[in-house]
Amino acid sequence: MTREELFAILPLLVLTAGIVLLMLQVSFRRGHRAALVTTVAILAATLWACFSVGTALPASGILAVTSLFSIDHTALFFCVLMVMAALAVAILAFHHLESRGASHAAGSFPEEFYILLLLVILGACCLVCASHFASLFLSLELMGLALYPLLGFAVIGDESPQRDQLLSLESAMKYLLLSALSTALSLFGIALVFAASGALDFSAAAAALREAGPNGGILTGGLTLLLIGVAFKLSLVPFHIWTPDVYQGAPTPVTALIATVSKGAVVALILRFFTQVDLFSLPILSTMLAVMAAASMLVGNLLALQQGNVKRLLAYSSIAHVGYLIVAFLIGASAFGQEAVIYYLVAYVLTTTGAFAVASLVADAAQPSIPGGPQPIGNAGEDPFQVEFYRGLFWRSPGLACCFGLMLLSLAGIPLTIGFIGKFYVFAAGVQGQMWLLLATVVIGSALGLYYYLRLLLVMLQRDAESRDVQPAAIQVAVSGQLLVVSLTAILLLFGIFPQLLINWINAL
Amino acid sequence: MTLAAIIAVLFFGGIVAWLAERFRPGASRWLTLASLVVGLVLLVQLWGGATPGTAHQWWHSLEVAWIPRFGISFFLAVDGLGFLMLALTLLMGLFGLVITWSDIRFRRGFFYFNYLWTLAGVVGVFTALDLFLFFFFWEVMLIPMLMLIAVWGHEERIFAAIKFFIFTQASSLLMLIAIVALVYIHFNASGQVTFNYQDLLGAQLPSTSAWWLMLGFFIAFAVKLPAVPLHTWLPDAHTQAPTAGSILLAAILLKTGAYGLLRFTLPLFPEASVQFAPVAMAIGAISVVYGAILAFAQRDMKRLVAYSSVSHMGFVLLGLYALNTVAIQGAVMQMVAHGLSTAALFAIVGALQHRLHTRNMEQMGGLWTELPRLSAIALFFAVASLGLPGLGNFVAEFLVLLGSFGVDHWTTAFAALGMVGAALYALAMMQRAFFGESRRTTSAADQKALIDLNLRETLAMLVLAVFLVFLGLRPQPVFDTAAPAIARSLAPVTAREAAVTNSSTTRPATAANWPAAKHKGETP
Repeated sequence: MTREELFAILPLLVLTAGIVLLMLQVSFRRGHRAALVTTVAILAATLWACFSVGTALPASGILAVTSLFSIDHTALFFCVLMVMAALAVAILAFHHLESRGASHAAGSFPEEFYILLLLVILGACCLVCASHFASLFLSLELMGLALYPLLGFAVIGDESPQRDQLLSLESAMKYLLLSALSTALSLFGIALVFAASGALDFSAAAAALREAGPNGGILTGGLTLLLIGVAFKLSLVPFHIWTPDVYQGAPTPVTALIATVSKGAVVALILRFFTQVDLFSLPILSTMLAVMAAASMLVGNLLALQQGNVKRLLAYSSIAHVGYLIVAFLIGASAFGQEAVIYYLVAYVLTTTGAFAVASLVADAAQPSIPGGPQPIGNAGEDPFQVEFYRGLFWRSPGLACCFGLMLLSLAGIPLTIGFIGKFYVFAAGVQGQMWLLLATVVIGSALGLYYYLRLLLVMLQRDAESRDVQPAAIQVAVSGQLLVVSLTAILLLFGIFPQLLINWINAL
Repeated sequence: MTLAAIIAVLFFGGIVAWLAERFRPGASRWLTLASLVVGLVLLVQLWGGATPGTAHQWWHSLEVAWIPRFGISFFLAVDGLGFLMLALTLLMGLFGLVITWSDIRFRRGFFYFNYLWTLAGVVGVFTALDLFLFFFFWEVMLIPMLMLIAVWGHEERIFAAIKFFIFTQASSLLMLIAIVALVYIHFNASGQVTFNYQDLLGAQLPSTSAWWLMLGFFIAFAVKLPAVPLHTWLPDAHTQAPTAGSILLAAILLKTGAYGLLRFTLPLFPEASVQFAPVAMAIGAISVVYGAILAFAQRDMKRLVAYSSVSHMGFVLLGLYALNTVAIQGAVMQMVAHGLSTAALFAIVGALQHRLHTRNMEQMGGLWTELPRLSAIALFFAVASLGLPGLGNFVAEFLVLLGSFGVDHWTTAFAALGMVGAALYALAMMQRAFFGESRRTTSAADQKALIDLNLRETLAMLVLAVFLVFLGLRPQPVFDTAAPAIARSLAPVTAREAAVTNSSTTRPATAANWPAAKHKGETP
């Protein structure tokens, strides 16, 4: 390994060193706030590392670090995106844990949350740089293994109500089992690819694919299995069954994490994988993706119509959004396709983080007033995750509701928001690929989607709160939470109104 | 800059109005009024640009690069047609504000914020000449309208708001696909990515693609218009919206559909439009008759007026797709006249509902004795709506029928039945609500409380009445203003038509007047 190669993986090294540092810090002196500060510092250092590596890359823009990783501007861009999302999650997690007695309750260990969070980000950053099946598998597993305890964090980390603990445990178990299944499938797929090509790095697989042509049964079979494993992580229909339960049960910051970082990293991976191995030349994979995308858009949106729980609603909506993203993905290896996917991904990560952030902060604010115990809350108006809880929010907390409303409009793809530009990219990509049936599905899906986003939006605007005897109080959110939501909204509007800024960055990759 | 300034005044006026209401209750109304007046003053300044004979087809334009990646620019321009629509927009905005001056109690600041943003979006729609920007404004005007219906509407407001939004949004996604596909085809042919209207006018399209793209645009505009199978959002939205919202919807938002057809669908897809014209005319004629029949069957007065809009806008569709100058002039006139008359009718229904707390005509009756002023004004606008000669609506409908008759006798004859229907529903409304015995169930004490229109409301209504009489007696200024824009929109169509029929039978005169080359030379 040369000096250049070591320097190129600086972001990964910083993250790794940071994890060790944080572990040491926690073992010597526990402190919730101190752990958060260290985490934010580590993430900031990682950001700095990403940028400094980006300026130092050779003129070709690609640097192979052994055969395991290959660093290029796109990978660094995704790293930055993941780390930004992690910053947001760290802030949300602080409020989440604080409001559940992290600092004062005995037997509460909130600091571990941040170690696990950094591990997830390390896995995600490795995944977007991977150029070898071994690194792909290891980083996927690293991400997964760190996510299991995070999903079940309500059980060990603090004094959450028993109801939350049960749901959280259920969520972790479901994710563990189904993720193990998908891992087994992708491992088997990798084994088949190895059997057919005799090598494990992407370029060798690409060479084997060129040689075999479309008839290489074993190779195609292996790739298909691998794609199924990926579809599990992306929760594409029909591999989406785990999504709503896991999203609902997990602590909300973890839900945001799994919806953005985990999915985003996998999208970045398949973007590189498909381009490098030229998998778009295999019609079976494209057809499979197209069918899964169409099914995701329809099923995700249709099932979201039925949901009364905000987290479940957003879970189904995220299934549909990955469906839209795959439409842009399908136009293949062209530069425009890549640009469209990246733009849509940024829009998706930004908006989904924002939406879950609001849901999380609202729930934290309501935490002291909701009853404990293992039973579900009977009154929908008191459960902070029910749509009913948001009734009249616009009149009580106009700022928060405005931000949430804009997030919802962005998810629905309405102009002035980044979601609209993302949807525009999807349409442009679909037109370029002449995928009229898929575009028709996007239109149907969006029309269905509008219904539930609008319903939530209009519930916030309900005015009959005026006539009630007892006015529900405004929702008090801590300053850092407000700052987070407002800055996410500001970025959402900025890139919605002046998309050229972001397009320039993406095109510079 | 003036165009951008009008939009900016409305946008920022909305924000300021919202904020000001927190500090000083009632301030938002005055700020709204001020924004609208400033907007009107700016608009009047544009009139000076109308110098006939210059090479520029736009009176005034502004072009700033916005998203160079896709050749999208912030391109606003106004010509005669745009000017008419802008004037209608701002005047009706003013009318809606004045007539509902003291109606809004709940969250007044936010109401006027939405009100002004709707208007700003509509002004954007009428001036945008970049297809992406057009779509942008097309959507921007919907959200505040949605809020107006959903927050300040009547009983079924949430249902109506969502239905309105999903209908328009889903159909406009079809338009977005058509826009992107049009740009893509143009890009493949010319190597230039642009959303600029003037560049896209020259796009060479394969005829099958042109047909599908035209359909994408047509559906979006037909939903907004609305034309018959796609009209079902309209009665709900209009009925449930607050009075000011109904005025905006009926007087302005419906016109965006007709404007889009004239500005975009016809000139961008001339060949496909010629092929599609018989179908569109049939849809228009069916809308006319169907709207009239359903209007006659309503008990809810607001619903009656809403269905009468379907009927009147059917005339617009019929006139536009007759594809000749006379009929399209009629259609433009109908857009203006219908805007005025329907706004007034909605204001009257709103005033009645404010006083009687019902829209059900079965509980009215005999109101003339109690509300003579309101009833007289209602009679005036009812007969305007049925097309009494001497008023704007008559000129419009007459021209549409005149222009269409030469194209398709039977469809036009069928549509003319709608005039009979209009007489039926308008007079039936008058008879049920204002004449005969009082059927009101309220006590005598309540009846005394009925107050006739006050001075502010009467004046606002009378201004509209004067406008309608003026349009009826001297329609020529409107025709002159709109003529160049109509000619330009029609030029590619008639050229294509002339090429097909060898300028043999139906419209030789118009085809000879407007050869295709003239239009192309005018592009600045």
